[in-house]
Amino acid sequence: MAAGSGGSLSLPPPCPKSPPEYPDLYGKRRETAKVQMLEREISFLEVELKSVGGLQHASRCCKEVTDFVTTNSDPLIPTNRKNRKSCRLWKWLCGIPCFNLSMICCCCYSECSCHLTCRPCYNCNDMCDCSLCKCSSCNCNSCLSCCTNPRRRCCSCPKSQCCGNISCGKTCCIFRFPSCKDRCYRWKCCPKCPKVRLCCCTKNCCNLCCFLF
Amino acid sequence: MPVAELKERHAAAIEAVNDLRERLKQRRQQLLDTDVAGYARSHGRSQVTFGPTDLVCCRTLQGHTGKVYSLDWTPERDRIVSASQDGRLIVWNAQTSQKTHAIKLPCAWVMTCAFSPTGQSVACGGLDSMCSIFNLNSATDRDGNLPVSVTLNGHKGYVSCCQYVPDEDIHIITSSGDQTCVLWDITTGLRTTVFGGEFQSGHTADVLSVSINGANSRVFVSGSCDGTARLWDTRVASRAMRTFQGHEGDVNTVKFFPDGNRFGTGSDDGTCRLFDIRNGHQLQVYYQQHSDKEVPLVTSIAFSISGRLLFAGYSNGDCYVWDTLLARVVLNLGSVQNSHENRISCLGLSADGSSLCTGSWDTNLKIWAFGGHRKVI
Repeated sequence: MAAGSGGSLSLPPPCPKSPPEYPDLYGKRRETAKVQMLEREISFLEVELKSVGGLQHASRCCKEVTDFVTTNSDPLIPTNRKNRKSCRLWKWLCGIPCFNLSMICCCCYSECSCHLTCRPCYNCNDMCDCSLCKCSSCNCNSCLSCCTNPRRRCCSCPKSQCCGNISCGKTCCIFRFPSCKDRCYRWKCCPKCPKVRLCCCTKNCCNLCCFLF
Repeated sequence: MPVAELKERHAAAIEAVNDLRERLKQRRQQLLDTDVAGYARSHGRSQVTFGPTDLVCCRTLQGHTGKVYSLDWTPERDRIVSASQDGRLIVWNAQTSQKTHAIKLPCAWVMTCAFSPTGQSVACGGLDSMCSIFNLNSATDRDGNLPVSVTLNGHKGYVSCCQYVPDEDIHIITSSGDQTCVLWDITTGLRTTVFGGEFQSGHTADVLSVSINGANSRVFVSGSCDGTARLWDTRVASRAMRTFQGHEGDVNTVKFFPDGNRFGTGSDDGTCRLFDIRNGHQLQVYYQQHSDKEVPLVTSIAFSISGRLLFAGYSNGDCYVWDTLLARVVLNLGSVQNSHENRISCLGLSADGSSLCTGSWDTNLKIWAFGGHRKVI
């Protein structure tokens, strides 16, 4: 039918249609499964809420723990101390200045077992006390003037526990892990890497993925 | 049902779950009339005290060239297996410090190891997402390496922890970064049961640790990055028997208490906790205030054979010995003579409870035992 003027209908211009929307069956089933799981969890929680009222108080459990622990012997726990008569002699001897016997004196005053010797105290206090030789309160600044064996805290790297043998960076140590991919986001920097720390995450996760390791 | 309606139901279900959990938490709180320390103090219990040489390092096991990540004793108490960043398992004679086996692993990224109950095999797992079994009596190959005898393949994430089911070399339980735990049959190499997972009610983040109940090997507990510990019965995979909330960070380690009715946990929140499996109560929190802003993470725990001591390794190198009854630190193995030079990553008590083995990022293992005196009656 030829288009003519005056009275004839004109067809609308062709308009391409959008492709039909296919139902996202997989997503729907997934969502349904999640809902079912949650509804099952709700029923479990409701049962648990009803049963809580019948539970015994914590004090009963604490009694059981205490009774169990105190009934059983333990090879790692000191019992009564042996009457160390042999140490009394050392104590008398240590009553006199014992500059050359500082190691032995350390043993006596701290009640070390006499057959053991203490580590010599260098640059600590002058007191013959083994406990002061440990320098457990060292901080990095003063550590070198404390014990002879620098402790792990006496490290110039701020995150020494992270670094090990790898040179310390400003934040954490850097370690390459080949299978890390994609962007970083909290706790999931590199999906295959266990427990990656936020401080070590950068955009280029593959190359700069810091293990907790 | 239209997707929009499904999403509405989903949101409503989440809200209902959260509401129920809050109500449950409040009802439980009413039952917590005391904790273990409060009870023990009120009944006149005195604290365990250690002299400076009561618990001493009597062996240093040197041989690994990388950080030690995991260790396990044999039931006969005289051998230890350790796993290290150097990609090897080493089997040690604990009494002589000799190495009986040095096993080069096909995948160096190992995270966990375990001795079989008979001591004939060792298992390990790590970032290869598999659990590999080695028979210690096998002949070595022409390179001198012990071959893998069984590979347990099926996890979709790293294997973080493994433990043999007691009294049998046939079954092993693994935990994984894929949010599941799996019970395996080693003879067939197949999964017997999967606990948790995408469409089952289980952990919602990486599972980092498992511990099997020594008194009832059908029961085990798992700890996860979702901040919870869960109790499982191996006969029931669909859902955990109980979920233990409380921690405010990843639960890195779990270990059953010697009586089998309680278990301990260690977490990124810096606390260890004691839970009762029968009623879900949190019986005690073990936490020491630090002057630093940074709270050290708990990496590993172990109970002494009586349960009176809780050994806890921390990320800052400390290894606290807790009096479990009074919730006080009685010793720090991280600061005694001859202690480790770096973080203690794993701990284990020998079967007879007479020795503690610690493994560290300083590449060494150390064995600690009672070095003091006892009154002879």
